[in-house]
Amino acid sequence: MSKIKKPSSEELSAILFLAPIFIGFFIFILIPILFTVVLSFVDYNKVGPLNMDFVGLKNYINVFSDEQAMNGYLQSLYFSIIYVPVMLILSLLLAILINKSFYFRTATRTLIFMPYVSNVTAVAMVWSLIFDPLNGPINQLLELMGVSNPPLWFGGVNTSLISVIIVNVWINLAFQTIVFLAALQGVSKDLYESASIDGAGTWRKFISITVPSISPITFFLVITTLIGSFQNYAIVKLLTNGGPGTSSRVISLNIYEEAFTFNRYSFASAQAMLLFLVILIITLIQWKWQKKWAQN
Amino acid sequence: MGTKLTLKSSSMNYKKLLFSVIMLLVGILMIVPFIIMISSSFKTQAMVFESPFTTIIPETITWENYSSIFKDEYYFGWYFNSLRVVVLTIVLRGIFVTMAAYAFAKIEFRLKNVLFMVFISTMMITPDTTIVSRFLFYKNIGLTDSYWALVLPAAFDVYFIFMLRQFMMGIPKELSEAAVLDGCGHFRIYSKIIMPLIKPPLVTMVLFTFIWSWNDYANPYVFINTIKSQTLTVGLTTFQGLGGANYALQMAGATLAVIPTVVLFSFLQKYFVEGIASTGVKG
Repeated sequence: MSKIKKPSSEELSAILFLAPIFIGFFIFILIPILFTVVLSFVDYNKVGPLNMDFVGLKNYINVFSDEQAMNGYLQSLYFSIIYVPVMLILSLLLAILINKSFYFRTATRTLIFMPYVSNVTAVAMVWSLIFDPLNGPINQLLELMGVSNPPLWFGGVNTSLISVIIVNVWINLAFQTIVFLAALQGVSKDLYESASIDGAGTWRKFISITVPSISPITFFLVITTLIGSFQNYAIVKLLTNGGPGTSSRVISLNIYEEAFTFNRYSFASAQAMLLFLVILIITLIQWKWQKKWAQN
Repeated sequence: MGTKLTLKSSSMNYKKLLFSVIMLLVGILMIVPFIIMISSSFKTQAMVFESPFTTIIPETITWENYSSIFKDEYYFGWYFNSLRVVVLTIVLRGIFVTMAAYAFAKIEFRLKNVLFMVFISTMMITPDTTIVSRFLFYKNIGLTDSYWALVLPAAFDVYFIFMLRQFMMGIPKELSEAAVLDGCGHFRIYSKIIMPLIKPPLVTMVLFTFIWSWNDYANPYVFINTIKSQTLTVGLTTFQGLGGANYALQMAGATLAVIPTVVLFSFLQKYFVEGIASTGVKG
């Protein structure tokens, strides 16, 4: 084999341009990733100096027998199953509406974006007020309408998770809407016109032109919304802190609590690794499925 | 025929106006929580739950909540801490990320594509996956409880390297080749030719960085442990326990916390929407 070529002047420039990001990438991205893997295989489950005793799969096995953790995965699953379709349907609907021509479009768009850009703690505080079970505006309204037993919202075992989902949809709706809007604007107008000439109605045009045209972006949104739906630590922590009981204790919250309240760092890392694997598998299955679907 | 045409277009306008009103109502519905937030911040705690819908503008405006905030020991310290993190993150990210994006878009070197793929593939690993190891690692290198624990990791952002590289690849080669012929080095091409051309995506990056960094909860919650050094997003949560859920006071704190990003967004909306439309899809 020939000797490694000396770097050209082009490559010397590349080294200079990339040096900061390489150092940063190594310290702040690569080391934490590798360290997470290592942590999940050692027994560092209490405060004190780093304990690097290798314990194999013990942390992982413990996850499966831990009721709290398994409940966390289950709550996250419920969360995603409701959140993803609701989010995608509402954002597509909103995008279709915004795509029509109307007055004060910029003003309306600004209003719709407010939740997305606003501080998450501020938003959580105002929703706690709105959904206050005793005399919050929503329940006052429901009582006026004759509902004798209005829901407890964040305070109810059966309603806590769904209430968090409502707030989370409200926060993120604008983002998905804008992506859908860009996709809708990319659909060729000629297609609609020739379909109109053929006598196709609005619904027919939607099903046979709009849906197939925007399907690559819909697919992209399904994946990113699904992955995003597992990253709900902040909003759950702020709105319900997992309660009442463990009724909204999603897995991301469980991971933070295990690590930073109970100092079971290795156990928490194993839970995080499993969550990552779940996300990875879902993504891969969807890729495969989409490829097959695209071929047909 | 002329009358028919005007009739038709005026009924179209009428329809359009009606639809516009409906859309505006949808928009207003989205900001009802903010209306309640601002309105409650000018009320006393006792007034907050009194007919919240009919008294949007309180009969007597109370400044008490805001004066409590101004007298608060920590509030504006947190505000300053948040602003400092945001500004430093924007500056460092602006330097490091654009340099890396330039190298990946405009310089030829061995293993370029492999390295780029390695960078990009780490985007799949969500921040929650590594939160525990990041905390332990930062603690061991003495980074915790410092705003650098929030700034430095954020400065090396793979997502924006990807986004800016895509933009830079779209800039015609002829522009930089002409500069090479004139004897310009890469640094001059980067700073004099490319940077001015990528202003729109740069503004998008600055805007998103501001919003995400200002609203970040998890990182400061884990990495900062003295109340004085905390950011506003985490610090604000301590208001939740004050005076047995004093919503009026909370809403004053919340209103002030929402202002910077909302104002910034209102001015730079165009970049924000275009940023999501073009890069959100590619990302």
